[in-house]
Order: sequence, then C-alpha cells, then structure tokens
Amino acid sequence: MVIKQQAQAGTFESSDMLVLVEPVSEGTGRVIELHSPVMVQFGKSIKEEINNALDEYEIKDVRLICNDKGALSATISARVETAIRRALQIQDGVLPS
Amino acid sequence: MIAENTDYRYEIMDMKNPYDVRKVSDFLSPLGFDFTPDQIDYTVILINLNDELIATGSLKNNVLKFVAVATKFRDTTAFSFIVKHLSERVLLNSKTAFVFTKPENIEKFMSIGYAEIASAPPTYALLEFGYKLIKDYKAYLKSKRINRLAQKVASIVVNCNPFTNGHKYLIEKAAAENDVLYVFVVEEDQSVFNFKVRWKLIEEGISHLKNVVLLRGGNYIVSSVTFPAYFLKSEKADLITQKQTELDLNVFVKHIAPILGINKRYVGTEIYCKTTAEYNKSMKNILTKNGIELVEVQRLAIGSEDNYVSASKIRKAIKDENLDSVLDFLPDSTKAFLLSKDSEQIRNRIKASSSRH
Repeated sequence: MVIKQQAQAGTFESSDMLVLVEPVSEGTGRVIELHSPVMVQFGKSIKEEINNALDEYEIKDVRLICNDKGALSATISARVETAIRRALQIQDGVLPS
Repeated sequence: MIAENTDYRYEIMDMKNPYDVRKVSDFLSPLGFDFTPDQIDYTVILINLNDELIATGSLKNNVLKFVAVATKFRDTTAFSFIVKHLSERVLLNSKTAFVFTKPENIEKFMSIGYAEIASAPPTYALLEFGYKLIKDYKAYLKSKRINRLAQKVASIVVNCNPFTNGHKYLIEKAAAENDVLYVFVVEEDQSVFNFKVRWKLIEEGISHLKNVVLLRGGNYIVSSVTFPAYFLKSEKADLITQKQTELDLNVFVKHIAPILGINKRYVGTEIYCKTTAEYNKSMKNILTKNGIELVEVQRLAIGSEDNYVSASKIRKAIKDENLDSVLDFLPDSTKAFLLSKDSEQIRNRIKASSSRH
C-alpha cells in the first residue's frame, strides 16, 4: 500500500517508541531512521521488527523516524503498525482535529 | 507515593480568559518564568486527582515554550507527557517541532529524543525534533555552494520588506569586494511583503551579479524560531533581544558559516530600527570571536546626506499614498511591482496596518 500522509504514534516515555511516518516519492524504498539507547545490543532486531510490520501492510516506499526508549518487541510492532495505519488513513489519531 | 501516570488529566487553557492566564503564570513565576500569554497560541496544563497543577507547556506556531514541571513531580512522567502532547500537535501539520528553553533543560529534552541546535547561556537554548532537521537545511546549503576555492566569502542576511536601492547597493558592494556572496532571505512570512514577493524582487534586482547566490533563510536565520523578539511589535532593546541575538548568531556560526566557508558578514548601519541596531552590536562581538569579520556599510543616501534609503520609509510612503516621493529609493523590480496591480493587496494591507513590520 502507499503511504498517504504524515502520521505518528507512541510517546516519549521510557519503554516506548515514538514513530513518525512520512510519505516519500515512489521508488525511494524504506528509509528507516532509528534512534535507540540500545542500538548496539538490539538495533538489528528492532529494525527487523519494524520491517515485519511494514511487510504486513506491503509498504515499499516510506520514511520512518523511530525514537526508541527501550521498547519491547510487542510495543515496537504496535507503535509502527498504528503509525502506518494512520498514515494510510485507515485509523484515526487520538487528537481531536 | 507520587501519582501514577493514569491519574493525570490534561486541560487546554483559554488564553483569552484572564483566570486561566493567571493560573498558568502563578504556577510559572516561582519556577523562574515570565509568562507572556500574548506570545502564545496554545497552552496545556496537567492536573492530578488532588487538583494540583503539576505541569504546563505552551506553543507558539511550531515552537514549544514555557514547559515546566512542579518540583515535586519532576521524577514522574509529567514532563514527557507534556512534551509528547505538544510535539504531537506540532508534527500534525509541521515538519519540525522546536523547543525554546533554558540551557539547564537541554539534557532533559535530549534524553527523550530532541537534539540541540545552539544555545545562548544562561538564558536560551534551542532544540528540535521531527521530520526535517537542521541537517536537511545544511544539505540544502551544501547543494547551493559555488566556487569552493574562493578565499573571500561574504554573507548578508536581508528581509527586504520591500527590496530597495539600499539593499541593492549593499549587495553590489559586497559582491564587488568578495569572490562569492551568499544572500540569505528571511523566510518568515510575518512581513507585509510575503516571502515569494520579496524573493522575486531581489532575484530580479540582482540578476546582473554572477557571484551572488540567493538562499532561503529557513527556520534557522532570523526566524521566529531563532529570534522571536525580531518579529514582536515593541522596540525594546533589552536583555531579551540581546540574548536572542546571541542565539540566532550561534546558529549561524555553528551550523551555517562552516558549510559555506563564510568569513565575512555585511550589514548596513542601522538608524531606524532599534532591534536591528542592537542586533548589529551583539553581532560584532560574537562574529569576531568566531573568526568572521563584520563589515558595516554606511547606508546609501540619495540627494542630501541624511536622506537615507530605508524600507520602512517606503512602507510609510505607501501608507500615506505618497509613493512618488520615494521612487528614487526603488530599483526597477520593486518600482514596477509597486506601480502594478499585483501589489494592490499588499498596499491596502499596509494602509490598514500600524505595525513596524
């Protein structure tokens, strides 16, 4: 599917991840910018988790900014999925517009 | 025990309601903040079940300000709740969220993902978070760089509201004295002449100069992010202006000048605008310290010696419907624009307004 709009999910809390999604032009691929305090230990598996969530929605071109604060894998996939769903306009945000 | 996260509730304050304003400023003043509700367009507070106010934060466009947490609640999640709430709101419509705060809070914001841009201790620090960061602006500057081997590289920052012969003279002089000249145009659309018009008039007016590159000022040069006082209507030349000047220049010195290899900055001597005059003075100090030479150029005068060219004179003439009296001050591009129908809307706005910018 194709990302339609800028969207976000998650918080700045410890054990959470804040995900920002941005549409990019076709053919760019997946640009994932991950910031994490446990980059050295878990960077690879966090990226894998993110890619799995993207695979599920068949997203080819996207820019993701993931601000991790030590989230567990269930949290990561939930945050990424919600952000993607908002960016695809199939789920509403939490803020009143 | 301190309240759990779920015990918080937030409330959005109405800045037109004096009771709400008082509630926030009473909370902020013991924490060392001088709350200015007129420079804010959104304020949120956090309350716990005992109805204690435990934290607050405000927004002005895409800048977080007045973020504060009561001492007792500093080790709770109140801080990240406020920052999250405000950042989320900003990032719905904007590419970057900025924080304007005190340097002692830099680490707190950095620990949750914000990155420091520059600071002016002990008063101000500027941080950012989001889709587009200063590295993207630096990449833009890099892509515009010409003649990498040039020795004398100068810069000018202009608002050009509107573009006059004074600006043209300054740019021509700097271009003649240097190998390369970068002209930064303030991008903020808070002036009567909007960015697109200002850019176009300058571009047409300097098209004969081959070693001049016109650059967008972005969020990082004299914008309401780096230098809010510049756009305020008051002309107080006080500590606030001075410190904000320092912040704006630190961004310039730390991030912008090195990318383009700038070693000179030109300014016109300032007579009319106190904010700009103060800016020039602090500029000399800070730039010299960082190895950039400040060149002050005597303002262009036409006819008699004290008949200085100034953009505010032009705006005044438009207001008084007396444009003919200042035609000598205008380069062809601006003259043609002001005499054409395209500028009707802008002219009417000037006539209706009373502000300085």
